[in-house]
Amino acid sequence: MSLQSKGLEDEARGGRGRVRSSCPHTGDRSGQRPSRKLDPKTKAAPGRCRAWPGRTERTAGSSRPGSPQRKQLERKRGHELLRAPERSSAGRTRDSRRKRDGRASLKEQSSSAEKKGLPRKEEAWEQLRKPRSVSLASSGSGGESLSEEELAQILEQVEEKKKLIATMRNKPWPMAKKLTELREAQEFVEKYEGALGKGKGKRLYACRMLMAKKWVKFKRDFDNFKMQCIPWEMKIKDIESHFGSSVASYFIFLRWMYGVNLVLFGLIFGLVIIPEVLMGVPYGSIPRKTVPRAEQEKAMDFSVLWDFEGYIKYSALFYGYYNNQRTIGWLRYRLPMAYFMVGVSVFGYSLMIVIRSMASNSQGSTSEGESDNFTFSFKMFTSWDYLIGNSETADSKYASITTSFKESIVDEQESNKEENVHLTRFLRVLANFLIICCLCGSGYLIYFVVKRSQEFSKMQNVSWYERNEVEIVMSLLGMFCPPLFETIAALENYHPRIGLKWQLGRIFALFLGNLYTFLLALMDDVHLKLSKEEAIKNITHWTLFNYYNSSGWNESVPRPPLHPADVPRGSCWETAVGIEFMRLTVSDMLVTYITILVGDFLRACFVRFMNHCWCWDLEAGFPSYAEFDISGNVLGLIFNQGMIWMGSFYAPGLVGINVLRLLTSMYFQCWAVMSSNVPHERVFKASRSNNFYMGLLLLVLFLSLLPVAYTIMSLPPSFDCGPFSGKNRMYDVLHETIENDFPTFLGKIFAFLANPGLIIPAILLMFLAIYYLNSVSKSLSRANAQLRKKIQALREVEKSHKSLKSKAMARDSGDTLESGSKNATQLQLTKEETTPHSASQSQTLDKKAQDPGTASSAASRTVPPAPRSLPGSRPPGVRKDSGQARSQAHPWRSGSGKSAQRPRH
Amino acid sequence: MGSSGSHATVIPDGDSIRRETGFSQASLLRLYHRFRALDRNKKGYLSRMDLQQIGALAVNPLGDRIIDSFFPDGSQRVDFSGFVRVLAHFRPVDEEEAGIRDPKQPEPLNSRMNKLRFAFQLYDLDRDGKISRHEMLQVLRLMVGVQVTEEQLESIADRTVQEADEDGDGAVSFLEFTKSLEKMNIEQKMSIRILK
Repeated sequence: MSLQSKGLEDEARGGRGRVRSSCPHTGDRSGQRPSRKLDPKTKAAPGRCRAWPGRTERTAGSSRPGSPQRKQLERKRGHELLRAPERSSAGRTRDSRRKRDGRASLKEQSSSAEKKGLPRKEEAWEQLRKPRSVSLASSGSGGESLSEEELAQILEQVEEKKKLIATMRNKPWPMAKKLTELREAQEFVEKYEGALGKGKGKRLYACRMLMAKKWVKFKRDFDNFKMQCIPWEMKIKDIESHFGSSVASYFIFLRWMYGVNLVLFGLIFGLVIIPEVLMGVPYGSIPRKTVPRAEQEKAMDFSVLWDFEGYIKYSALFYGYYNNQRTIGWLRYRLPMAYFMVGVSVFGYSLMIVIRSMASNSQGSTSEGESDNFTFSFKMFTSWDYLIGNSETADSKYASITTSFKESIVDEQESNKEENVHLTRFLRVLANFLIICCLCGSGYLIYFVVKRSQEFSKMQNVSWYERNEVEIVMSLLGMFCPPLFETIAALENYHPRIGLKWQLGRIFALFLGNLYTFLLALMDDVHLKLSKEEAIKNITHWTLFNYYNSSGWNESVPRPPLHPADVPRGSCWETAVGIEFMRLTVSDMLVTYITILVGDFLRACFVRFMNHCWCWDLEAGFPSYAEFDISGNVLGLIFNQGMIWMGSFYAPGLVGINVLRLLTSMYFQCWAVMSSNVPHERVFKASRSNNFYMGLLLLVLFLSLLPVAYTIMSLPPSFDCGPFSGKNRMYDVLHETIENDFPTFLGKIFAFLANPGLIIPAILLMFLAIYYLNSVSKSLSRANAQLRKKIQALREVEKSHKSLKSKAMARDSGDTLESGSKNATQLQLTKEETTPHSASQSQTLDKKAQDPGTASSAASRTVPPAPRSLPGSRPPGVRKDSGQARSQAHPWRSGSGKSAQRPRH
Repeated sequence: MGSSGSHATVIPDGDSIRRETGFSQASLLRLYHRFRALDRNKKGYLSRMDLQQIGALAVNPLGDRIIDSFFPDGSQRVDFSGFVRVLAHFRPVDEEEAGIRDPKQPEPLNSRMNKLRFAFQLYDLDRDGKISRHEMLQVLRLMVGVQVTEEQLESIADRTVQEADEDGDGAVSFLEFTKSLEKMNIEQKMSIRILK
C-alpha cells in the first residue's frame, strides 16, 4: 500500500513515479523488452496490472489540493457519468449488500469498539446509500425507492439477459459455457424482474430482500449463539493454544463423554429412578426396601455410607431396591419392563452415538487434507488474527502460533528422519517384549490379590487394608505402569502421535487385564452367592412359616405381619455387583484427583518456590514440571466409562455419580493443566479425527456389554430383590409383557422373529453387506490417495519446470552480470527515464544480442550462478523510490547476499 | 457515536477522497470521526504515536509494520486522505462491481490484488518485491519469539520458501505469495465494515 501511495505522490510531483506503481512492469512498457523477456512473471503481469497507470493519473489530484484539482474533478465526474450505465444498478447494489451481510460476521466487531450498539437499520441505510454515492456522484436521498435512471438500467440489463437466453442456442460456445451462461442469465432475470414491477411488485421485491437480509442476520446471530452455547469452548481453546491440539483433544473427548453421560443420566433418571421414587412403594414397606435389623444401628455411620452400605444400599440407587410389581402407581407404569428396556437402550444409545461420531469423524478426515501444500506459508502469512485487541488474547494467540509451529516442526522432522532400520527394529521388539512381561506380571498380581480378597471376605475381622486390597493394587498399577511403559517406549523412537497410539494400546491392555480379572473375581463371588441363595430362600420361607404358624398366639386375632427389617433375606448379588462398581468408580476418581494434586500441583509448587533455595535447578533439572499425561487420562476416561456401562444396569445411580465426576474433573483438570503443567517437549498435532479414542471406546463398550448380557441371559435373578425377582431369567420380563400387554398375533410375530432360522440368515446377510461396503470404501480411499498423489506430482512438475526456466534465465542474466556493473546501472536508468537514455538502452540490447555465445559457454561450464542474483529479473521498478544511489547499490548488495545463502537451498 | 451533528462536520477534500477510495459519505464521516479521535492534539494529522495508542496494533506482532504502511516515504505524519487511502484497502469487495468493471478503469483499492499487496508489503521489509528468507525470519521472530530455537526458525523459513517458491530464486515474490494464498478468502478476511 505504501508503495502505491508513494507512487501517487511521485506522480503528483513530476509524473515519473508511474514506474513505481505497484505493478512493477507497467512502467517499462514503453520499450523495456529485455527485462520483460527475462522475467517469466512479467508475462502474467501486464494483464493484471493494466489498470494501474490510469488510476495513478486519476488519483493524483486528490492528494494535492491545488489548482488543477477542479478541472480533474470535473473530468472525473464526466468519467463517472460515462461509467454509470455499466457500473451501477440498484439490483446489484442490493445483491452486494446482501453478500456483505453474510460476510460481515467476522469483521463486524473489528473496526472499532464503539459501533457495537448501533442499530441494524442504520447499517442498512448506509449500505443502500453507499454504492450509489460511489457510482453517481450525486448524494441521493436514499431509501428503498429506486431512481428512474437505475430502473432503466436494470430494465435494459434484464432485456439483454432475456435476449441472451433466447439466442443461447445459436451461440458457438461449448456446452459447459452455454449452461453456465444460461444459468446466470436466468438467475439474474429472476432476481431483478421483481424490482421493475410497478407498485406491488416492487414492494414485494423489497420485502423479499428485507426478509432475506433478516434471515441472514438471524442465521449469523444464531451461529454466534450456538458457538457460545458450546460448553467450555473457551477453556479448551485456551488449553489448545498453550499445550497443542493433542492435549486439547483429551478435553474435547471429555466434553463429548460428558454429553453422552448426560443423555444416559436423563434416560435412567427419567425412566427408572424418578418413577420409582414417585410412584413405587415407599421405603420401609417391604423387606427389600428396608435396612435389616442387624445393620440398622450403624446404617447411618459415615464409614458405612462411604462403602455404599447401610441406607445407600437400600435406596433407589441400586438394583435391589426395586420391586417386582408389574405396574406401579396410578399411571400403571411398567417398572420392571422400563428397567430392562432402559438397561438395553443405554447400550444401544452408546453404541449408536459412538459409531456415528466415528463415521462423521472419518468423513471429515477424508474431505480435508488437501491444503497440505502450503502449510508453512499459511502459518507464516495468515496466522495472526488482526482483530485481537486484548493483550491477554494476544498472549494466547502468540502461544498458539508458537505451538502450531512446533507441531509442524515435529511433523517435518519426522518425515525427514533417517535412521538405522535394524537397530530400531531390534529396539522395538525389545520394548514390546518388556511390556508384555510387565502386562503378564500385573495380570498375575491382580489375579493373586483377587484370590486373597475372596479369602478375606470369608473372614470376620479384616483390616481396612485387607478389605480394599484389590482397589489399592489396581490403582497402584494404574499409577505406575503407564510411566514405566512410557520409559520403555522411549526406546522405540516413534513419532509422538504414533507413540501415543502404541502407548494407548498398551495401557489399554493393562487396564483390560485388570478389568477382566476384576470381573472374573466378581463372577466367582456371584456364583458363590447364587449357590447359597437356595439355602437362604428355604430359611426365609421357613422363618415366615414359623412366624405365622407358631403357637402361643391367639388364633382369633391375626398376627401383625412380620416387620420387614426382621425378614431374613438373600445376599442379592446384583446389588453387590453394583456396589462394587460404585466403589471402584469413586476410588478411581479420588485416586485421579489426588494424583493430580500431589503429582502435578504440589510438585509444581515445590519446583516453583523451592527453586531459588535449592542446590540445582529444579525447573530444568530433575523434578521439573509435569507434562500432561494424555494417554493415561484418555484411557482412564475410557475405562471409567466401561465401568459405568457395566455397572449402570445394577446400580442406576452410577451414571449420576459419573456425571458429577466428569463435571468436576473438567474444571479440576483444566485448572491443573493451566496452573501446573508444562507443554510437551515435542508438541505434536493430534490426528484430525480422534477416531483412535473412539475405537478404543467402542471396544470397551463391546467388552462391557458382554458380562452384562451374560448375566441377563444366563444367570437367575435373586429371589427377593430387584425388579426381576421371582422370574427364572431377567429377559423373561419381555415375554411377560408381550404375552400380557400385546395382542396375540404380535406375540406370534415376535416368536417368529426370534426363530434361529431367521436370525442366522439375517446375521449372514449383515456380514456380507459389511464385507461389501468395506471393500468399496477401501477402493474409494485408494483412488483418493492416488488422486492426491497425482496432484502432488503435478505440482512438483510445475515447480521444477518453472525453476528450470528461471535457471535458464539466470544463465542469461548471469552473463549480463558478467558484462559489467555498468550495464546494470544502465538498465536501471533506462527504466527510470526511457527516452533520454534510448542510446544506452540500445547498448544494452546490443550486449544482449552478444550474449548467446557467452550464455552457451556459461551453460557448458557448471551449474548456473544464483538465479536470484539477477537485477533484470527482479521487478525492476519497485525499488527506485529513494533515489538513484540506493537503487543502484541495492541489487548488488542483496544479490550477493542471496547468492551467499544459495547453497542452503 | 458522533452521529449527532455529524452532518455538520465538513471533511476536507471529501468528494475527491470518496471518489478515489469508493467509501460512501457515511462511512467517510465515520472514518473522519475516528481520525479526529485518534488525533489527540488536534494537529490535523496523525503521528506514529497516535496510531500506537490503538490496542489492537499495540499487541500485534506486525503492528509496527502496519503503522509504517501509513507513513510512506518515512514521513512522520499522515493526513486524512492518506489515512483513508490506507483503509480503503479494507473496504469490502462488491463482487459484481469487480466483475463488470470497465477494464480501463483503475483497479479499486479494495480489489483482491491490492489487499494482497498490502499484506505482502507488511512482510516485504526492504520493498524489493520479494519476501526473502531473511525477512521471513524477522517476521517469525516477531510472532514466535524466543520459544523456538533459531535453527527451527530457520527450518521453518526454509520450508516456507520451499513451498511457495516456484521459480527457485529462494524468495517469495508477490505472484508466488498470491498463489500460496490462493485458497484463502482474502476478500472476506481483509475487509472491515465501517458502520455509520
